[in-house]
Amino acid sequence: MVNARPRRVRTTRRSVKIAERIAQTLISIGGIGTIVAVSLIMVFLVWVVAPLVGGATTGPEARVSFPEQPGSLRAAESLESRERPLAGECVDAQVDEYRLLAWSVYTDGTFVVRRLDRGDELVRRALVPDGDPSGTSAIGAPSAIGVDVERGALGLGFADGSVRLGTVDFTAELLSGEGAARFEALAPGARETDGARVVERSEDGVLRAQTCRVAIGEPLDTGTTSAVVLIDQLETDAGRTLATWHADDSLALYRVVERENLMTGEITRKLESGRVSFARPDGFTPCRLLVSSGGSSTYLLSRDGRAARFDTRDPSAPALAELVDLLPETDAELTTARFLLGRTTLLVGDRRGGLGAYFVVKPDGATTRDGAHLVLAHELGREDEARGGSPAVVALATSQRTRLVAVAYADGAIHVFNVTSGKDLGELRVDGDIAALALAPKDDALIAFGAHGAHGAHGAHGASVWSFDPQHSEVTFAALFRPVWYEGYGGPEHVWQSSSGTDDFEPKLGLVPLVFGTLKATFYSLLFGVPIAILAALFSSEFLAPKVRVPIKSTVEIMAGLPSVVLGFLAAVIFAPFVQDVVPAVLASFATLPLALLAGAYAWQLLPQRLAVRLSDWRRFACIVAMLPVGVALAAWLGPHVESWLFAGDVKLWLSGERGSPFGGWMLLFTPLAALAVAISGSQFVTPWLRARSFGWGRAACARADLGRFAFNVLATFALAAALSGACAALGFDARGSFVDTFVQRNALVVGFVMGFAIIPIIYTIAEDALTSVPSHLRLASLAAGATPWQTAVHVILPTAASGLFSAVMVGLGRAVGETMIVLMATGNTPVMDWNMFSGFRTLSANIATELPEAVKNSTHYRTLFLAALLLFALTFAVNTAAEIVRQRFRRRAYQL
Amino acid sequence: MIRARSETLRSEVVRKSVKPSPSIGGGSTSGQASHERPTRKVFDAVSEKRTFEAELHPALLTEEMVLEVDGFSLFYGAAQALWEISMGIPKGKVTALIGPSGCGKSTLLRSVNRMNDLIDTVRISGTMRLNGDAIYAPGVDVIELRKRIGMVFQKPNPFPMSIFENVIYSLRIDGERKKSVLEEVCEASLRGAGLWEEVKDRLHDSALRLSGGQQQRLCIARAIAAEPEVLLLDEPCSALDPIATGRIEDLIEELKGSYSILMVTHNMQQASRTSDYTAFMYLGRLVEYGPTEELFVQPRLSETEDYVTGRFG
Ligand SMILES: Nc1ncnc2c1ncn2[C@@H]1O[C@H](COP(=O)(O)OP(=O)(O)O)[C@@H](O)[C@H]1O
Ligand SMILES: [Mg+2]
Repeated sequence: MVNARPRRVRTTRRSVKIAERIAQTLISIGGIGTIVAVSLIMVFLVWVVAPLVGGATTGPEARVSFPEQPGSLRAAESLESRERPLAGECVDAQVDEYRLLAWSVYTDGTFVVRRLDRGDELVRRALVPDGDPSGTSAIGAPSAIGVDVERGALGLGFADGSVRLGTVDFTAELLSGEGAARFEALAPGARETDGARVVERSEDGVLRAQTCRVAIGEPLDTGTTSAVVLIDQLETDAGRTLATWHADDSLALYRVVERENLMTGEITRKLESGRVSFARPDGFTPCRLLVSSGGSSTYLLSRDGRAARFDTRDPSAPALAELVDLLPETDAELTTARFLLGRTTLLVGDRRGGLGAYFVVKPDGATTRDGAHLVLAHELGREDEARGGSPAVVALATSQRTRLVAVAYADGAIHVFNVTSGKDLGELRVDGDIAALALAPKDDALIAFGAHGAHGAHGAHGASVWSFDPQHSEVTFAALFRPVWYEGYGGPEHVWQSSSGTDDFEPKLGLVPLVFGTLKATFYSLLFGVPIAILAALFSSEFLAPKVRVPIKSTVEIMAGLPSVVLGFLAAVIFAPFVQDVVPAVLASFATLPLALLAGAYAWQLLPQRLAVRLSDWRRFACIVAMLPVGVALAAWLGPHVESWLFAGDVKLWLSGERGSPFGGWMLLFTPLAALAVAISGSQFVTPWLRARSFGWGRAACARADLGRFAFNVLATFALAAALSGACAALGFDARGSFVDTFVQRNALVVGFVMGFAIIPIIYTIAEDALTSVPSHLRLASLAAGATPWQTAVHVILPTAASGLFSAVMVGLGRAVGETMIVLMATGNTPVMDWNMFSGFRTLSANIATELPEAVKNSTHYRTLFLAALLLFALTFAVNTAAEIVRQRFRRRAYQL
Repeated sequence: MIRARSETLRSEVVRKSVKPSPSIGGGSTSGQASHERPTRKVFDAVSEKRTFEAELHPALLTEEMVLEVDGFSLFYGAAQALWEISMGIPKGKVTALIGPSGCGKSTLLRSVNRMNDLIDTVRISGTMRLNGDAIYAPGVDVIELRKRIGMVFQKPNPFPMSIFENVIYSLRIDGERKKSVLEEVCEASLRGAGLWEEVKDRLHDSALRLSGGQQQRLCIARAIAAEPEVLLLDEPCSALDPIATGRIEDLIEELKGSYSILMVTHNMQQASRTSDYTAFMYLGRLVEYGPTEELFVQPRLSETEDYVTGRFG
């Protein structure tokens, strides 16, 4: 018997092999591609953020020597030109924004304009000619010079007590047509001197002529003949404020008000003045006079580091506000002082190399007449300061746009600091002494002017120029994540405020308020979402028939797809105003809803057994559908009463702390806690006692006893809460200011509720999966042991599914952390940091969404927003990873069962 | 209505029991003789979709019953899984339920503690009584009923808790808090289940770390901790290795007397070794029920003989 059919040989067809190959390749590409894409996002974020950590970048040093005998001196405007020897030291210097020219003012009143690249002098003149035709004595060398580099304003004081005001400014002019013809041959980037101006062809071919003009006004009579020793002036839009310190130990203030007559165009100058004499304490040798922003304070600094602060809000009545020792060390000596941008922060350098930033704060209970105190806010020092002190600070230059200060030390080192963040941007060095420093108007160059006989070729006077880029000086780890003492704040704080309307505004990039906001949003939404979602999952997995469960689950899953912008819109436009109208009722509903539901359940037990069994299918339905409206109605009815009992009739005023006693707030906190305490102690003591007593009672009697116990518990809860609240109120504690405080319409409660709604579906779905994946044999074992479904759920199902539930919560948390639209629309976006459930907040995600579109690309703000994104990424990544790890563990455990 | 029906069935059982059996002491020949006729009878009942009057051995009449089943039928939707089963489970004895897979043994067992209630489609008729109390009657509190009945499942199913918590689970859900009581019950139950010596030093370890056999004995300890009036074992050894099986069988032997046990088993030897009475079920009908020895050595029906000798099943 030979089998006719040959044995079939198993071979894999070519087509199958090819398909296999293709599938494998595609799957690999897809998988690796996904991983690469995610990593690339991460890499990109890091790449954008990375420059935040670096210091400043500086170009190579360019040395310019200033010839002692200039080849050509030009007449400037109407003033007589003459050759003056440079006798004094450089008082101050500045360069123009294109870094073509530099002006310097010397102590003897000489004003020099130089070409910055070569050092040629273009202008050298006395600020006030000796033979001034006006005939007053305010001529010749001024006895005091005050320069406001920022505004280009000069103030000159003279030995006869008079003052003159002046301006110095750069003007750039674009040459075209005839004017340009002469410079046809100028290559892009090349410069040429043309009289008192320098012409440059820019890289894009435009011809630009830069001139520096100085103008000194007529002498102003100050009404005193005592010599001006120190002078400072402040240019504001309203006019100039001038302060002078005279040899007779008096401080004089003038406000020069210029009024233009609209009819005639004639300008009238008015001088409002005030004078105060100051009895100098021993050893107080005034060396600097500084008028702060708005003229509100005037500082007179002494060599020994003391500062007399005068209250000069009213210039006609100056008065000493306080005398502060800025340098308490006995041997300290003040070497230089200057205002930071905005003229509020005072920078004081001393002989020991220290540099302090001071400003006034207005603490409660200040004893000065203007209610303010000068405090040391930041100390800026070189790294080597700790090693026995660094050389003296010799010169300061402040930026005209940021809070940078360049500091020159006696050993020729130059450091640049950001005052607020304290970041040291690096060190530059020159040989020899530095007389003055300048930061170019765009912070793109640093210029060190040498003292006489120093710092230049063959002992000549000169300058060193570095191109400079401060990069992201505002950002340090501490500035991002630790409290920072910003100018005008009472102390170090976490603040996020990235932009403002004013120019001298300092961006405050503390990320902590945003992280806090994110956590607060997450906390409140989990507070609402988690219990509801977990209980719903428990209910549907343990108590619902599969026939009902499946459609319910799909419905909830569809709910997860509800666009969050819709939820945010509902929250912001409908829910928030509604809650605002019914705050007391909402608060009351936290108590009445659970009460009504529980009361319903207890009342159910009172039904005759026959009826109860027959209606058992309707039990939950009846309880919920009937008691929910009862709870809501009760809340609505109770709302106004609660408001008048606990919150002095108006909960919003009560919340803002304007009226009422703290009792109501404590009730709010203690009622749930008391309920918990009563429930636990009840089940610990009352229930066993009742159980022992009730042996042999009928069903109705038991139900009545139960209801009685419930009523007793409710009363006990409120009594306990009231007692605790009363105690707290009597002890003077007030909950207001912590978790309850001023009511804002868009608040954490609303967001928590709506975002809770947004995260419920995802938590529910995962939790339901976790609960249903608890092996049914455990459920059966528990039920067979005589446990009720509820006991089974609590004792067996929940503990078994705990890790799954945990991962559900974590996924919900991840969703809440990253959620943007709801928080953007419903939080009010105020980056405040408090746990108050009635205030808003700003989250990382909403912050990125609002600010990134308007952030200047590659600016500090832009990069910080990317850092916020990175932080968010890290946060959600950490949360999801934790969830995944727990889930893996859960899965292993589930297999074990 | 149900009550009335159960009364009639009850009298029927009595009548049936009184009826003298035709072939007592018939020996092997009687088995041979009954070979043709009764086979047709069971298979006829199945093919005609009707009930079958079980062959009950008179020895049962002498027993006091802990559980009485009268004309109990059960339907999964339209499919009838139990056909008017009537039998009593003797107090303090081990009763084994044998029969081919799918014959309704587990269903019958689950009916006793009303675990079938959890399945939506189940309908029943007939009655069951636990020590005289109706199991299926309106107004019966299922939870209270289950507290009187212990159950051990085919696969060991300890809770993912400590050994201690597992054993005292029934007391926990009853709200017992006294530590002394809990510890006493725990020890007594573990001793009763022959597990005490093995686990007394690690009562608070997870029960999931025990071996399969230990887990099953733990489940038995958990069941007897509740002092059940009847203990239901559904193939308690089918997931265990032979050594663990041996220990469980010894344990059942030891529990005999103090507990009334109704045990489903697939293993004929196990039934013959451990049980006092054996009931043979076939396709939802109770076929023959009597003292184990009689049923195995001289079954009255040839179907029973074929089954116990392994000729079908
Ligand atoms: N949950 C159920 N739904 C529908 N039919 C079931 C269910 N459980 C068991 N059955 C059916 O009932 C019959 C008896 O099953 P079962 O009692 O488990 O048998 P045994 O335990 O004797 O092997 C089988 O035909 C089985 O298919
Ligand atoms: Mg079975």
